[in-house]
Amino acid sequence: MLVGVVLLAILLFVALFAPLIAPYDPIKVNILDQLQAPSLDHLLGTDDLGRDVFSRVLWGSRVSLSVGVISVSIGFLVGVSVGLLAGYLGGTFDLLAMRVIDALLAFPALVLAIAITASLGPQIQNAMIAIGIVAIPGYARLTRGQVLSVRSRDFIVAARTVGVPPLRIVLRHIFPNIANPLVVQATLATAFAILAEAALSFLGLGPQPPFPSWGQDISYSQRYLANMKWWMSAGPGIAIFIAVFTFNFLGDALRDALDPRLRRSG
Amino acid sequence: MTTYILRRLLLMIPVALLVTVGIFVIIRIAPGDPVLTYAGEDKDPATIATVRAELGLDQPLPIQYAAWLSRAVQGDLGRSFQTHQRVLEAISERLPVTLELGLAAILISVSVALVVGTLSAIKRNSALDLLTTSVTLAGVSFPNFYLGLLLILLFAYVVPGHLLPPGGWTPFSTDPADNLRRLILPAITVATASLAVNLRQVRSSLLDVFGQDYVRTARAKGLRERAVVVRHALKNALIPVVTIIGIQVGAIIEGAIITETIFFIPGIGRLAVQAIPSQDYPIVQGVVLISALSFMLSTLAVDILYAFLDPRISFSAAEA
Repeated sequence: MLVGVVLLAILLFVALFAPLIAPYDPIKVNILDQLQAPSLDHLLGTDDLGRDVFSRVLWGSRVSLSVGVISVSIGFLVGVSVGLLAGYLGGTFDLLAMRVIDALLAFPALVLAIAITASLGPQIQNAMIAIGIVAIPGYARLTRGQVLSVRSRDFIVAARTVGVPPLRIVLRHIFPNIANPLVVQATLATAFAILAEAALSFLGLGPQPPFPSWGQDISYSQRYLANMKWWMSAGPGIAIFIAVFTFNFLGDALRDALDPRLRRSG
Repeated sequence: MTTYILRRLLLMIPVALLVTVGIFVIIRIAPGDPVLTYAGEDKDPATIATVRAELGLDQPLPIQYAAWLSRAVQGDLGRSFQTHQRVLEAISERLPVTLELGLAAILISVSVALVVGTLSAIKRNSALDLLTTSVTLAGVSFPNFYLGLLLILLFAYVVPGHLLPPGGWTPFSTDPADNLRRLILPAITVATASLAVNLRQVRSSLLDVFGQDYVRTARAKGLRERAVVVRHALKNALIPVVTIIGIQVGAIIEGAIITETIFFIPGIGRLAVQAIPSQDYPIVQGVVLISALSFMLSTLAVDILYAFLDPRISFSAAEA
């Protein structure tokens, strides 16, 4: 857990202070320095426009982390709300809501994200919306399942019996008792969101050039693969791996820490 | 069982309808005019209006959807705006390519996961187990499109002899050897993420089973460890693994999308990626429908298989 927290702190620090840490302007073109291999002047080399790859990686962290956090927030808010209502109210609302959730689940997630982003326009905020929508079914199903297991417990029955309003029961009594797995899900979903944003950027549907984005820079480096300019993709590739690994690691650690049934090793 | 299957098939219909409505609306939100793609931008306005009417794109959206749906249930998914090819034909040409890639990836993933996961569970907390756990986490964290590029760099350019081609596709019927050479790198790329998931599940399931009384009894009876693992533990541990693999089979199209783009493979994933930005509505709707149906059918098959494999599960419990 400590390792995960430390890695997360480093990531957040880099994202927040990228403008101060980055040694060069990430979008400034300098043809004289193009396609330089890693050196002391340019730690991860330069691309074909002479832009410092290391600086672009640092600035790119802002895009990835903001998309990760905001899209997960969108998915969490909508998905948990739907799951809470469906699980508590049951009946027709549950039936209809779950059919819509099933439809979202049946959609190939990447195709849905691509379609939404392409329709709304290839911009960072649309990528956030698209990935957030794709994340909704996971939260909705998990929340609904948790609510179903909790709602017949004595303390909930007692609250209903004494006339506590349904909304208060859901927010004050049910939600706090099902929050742990949702926190784990949110952490793991952030890892997925960062990967998804990188994939969308790779396909040209994320932040547009010249602004730095990890996936876009990897896509751009493809044309120089045959010329062995490996450093153009190494920086953003490793950055994506570290960011996703951090949230996956943290999610696994949180799962072990918060769920006593999973504390047995393996 | 028949009632259960029929009920699940009936429930698929409203879900499939919702999926088609969703993609129908989403792709039509995009700016731009697909009629220009179909008719060619140098045509005069009168011709474009005629083409728009021919394609039914001058009608209100609900009418357009009803028309598409009535043709779709008869097996007519329309024609591509770009190539004018029948959508069903375009999908039929490309589906075998995607299936070959997806199934090869699943084969690699399952084979490695079974062997390594079993060894990892048997030698728990050993160096191998630690390495396996680390590799599992790394595998799900590594961006598969970057892995694909790394593999291309390594095997097509770095390793002397240019062992494997950087992309492209030869049908198996044309040249089996070249087909397999071109399949290796993309299959490994697709397999990596699912390998990590399957490996973790095999290990976790085996560890659960090793703690069961019947395994303890088998060991107490003096059975060799190999017999305990193979004859008793593995069979029961694989039940949840089979269900995960079943879902992965249903999600083959989705898993292949980016890999087909990187390696220039003419599969369904690449077809969808090219069709979406160019607003080729019929292709996008057709691919999404086929993909959604295959996912739903595979989850149904998995639920039925699960009930068969585990006699403790009844169909009413599987339904829950």
